[in-house]
Amino acid sequence: MGPKHGGAERVSRDMLQESEDTLRRADSLLGELRATACPGDGAHAASLVDYLRRHGGAPLPLTLMRAYAEITSALEALRRYRGALERTTLERVHRTRDKLREVSSATEVAATSLLDGLDRAVSLVDRLDDIGSSDGRTDDGAATSVRAQLRDQLFELMSCMQFQDITSQQLQHAASVLAEVEQRLIGVAALFDATASADAHSGEAAASATFDPAASLFEADTRQAVADDIFTGR
Amino acid sequence: MKFLVVDDSATMRRIIINSLQRIGFSDCVEAGDGAEALSRFDDSIGFVITDWNMPNLGGLELVRSIRARPDGAGVPIIMVTTRSVREDIMAAAQAGVNNYIVKPFTPQVLKEKIDTVLAAAGSV
Repeated sequence: MGPKHGGAERVSRDMLQESEDTLRRADSLLGELRATACPGDGAHAASLVDYLRRHGGAPLPLTLMRAYAEITSALEALRRYRGALERTTLERVHRTRDKLREVSSATEVAATSLLDGLDRAVSLVDRLDDIGSSDGRTDDGAATSVRAQLRDQLFELMSCMQFQDITSQQLQHAASVLAEVEQRLIGVAALFDATASADAHSGEAAASATFDPAASLFEADTRQAVADDIFTGR
Repeated sequence: MKFLVVDDSATMRRIIINSLQRIGFSDCVEAGDGAEALSRFDDSIGFVITDWNMPNLGGLELVRSIRARPDGAGVPIIMVTTRSVREDIMAAAQAGVNNYIVKPFTPQVLKEKIDTVLAAAGSV
């Protein structure tokens, strides 16, 4: 992990630590306030009035002001780090989504190249068949059989390229999960700053209609059997 | 017989078309989504093979749209998709598909389902 990532980790840790410390101090002050305002009899209002009469009200506002100051300080710290949250965490989510798109695109390019190669190989086998049948020699059954098997193998390899479509859907599903995480992070950041820009959103909502979240390369026979059961009974 | 092959994956369209050519069906047209497929559909189309999850009109909506057309009511349709939940398959059947293939599939399965559909339609 490089310095940039290490720095982001430190910012997040510092933010959390400072927030926890401040909230503990605020809770302590509020506890102090409760103890002075409610000396055990549970009647909050009556105890508070009695306290004010006995003490002229001076310590209570001071305690409240101290609590308010601590809470304000905590909120200010959280607002300061909202920017860091947006810059570091959201950036990393964006980068990860970009990487997923890059992988999906790369597999499509690779699959297309493989299919091109297989098409060329099939064409060569077809030419061998033509040569075998046109050179006037006695039909060589063994050679014909081998060419047929080679053709079968090549078509089977073509069929294997289906992995690209299925893995692409799986990557789209992963990207949609990241988009949801991104939205939630933006929501958290907005809690710390009510004036946070409305356009600070990821923008790219997952188009769930274009992928199947359950797409899988495995157990196709079992899943096909479910479909066969339904259509055979029709 | 002219086949209309619909899938938003160019790789899948190529695999399906190669498989069709191998079993003797060389007259194929393709579309990258349901909307494009509808624009290409006419009474020259004898068979439709479609994916489910696509942009700009998904497979299920495409099937319903084709079945709503006078020239589409009797056209054989096979759905080829990763979706394999029983409820989804039932929905496809109710929308009007004649058979259903789960990805990844073998060319033998594709041939078998086409033969079954054509036999049921009395074309074989």
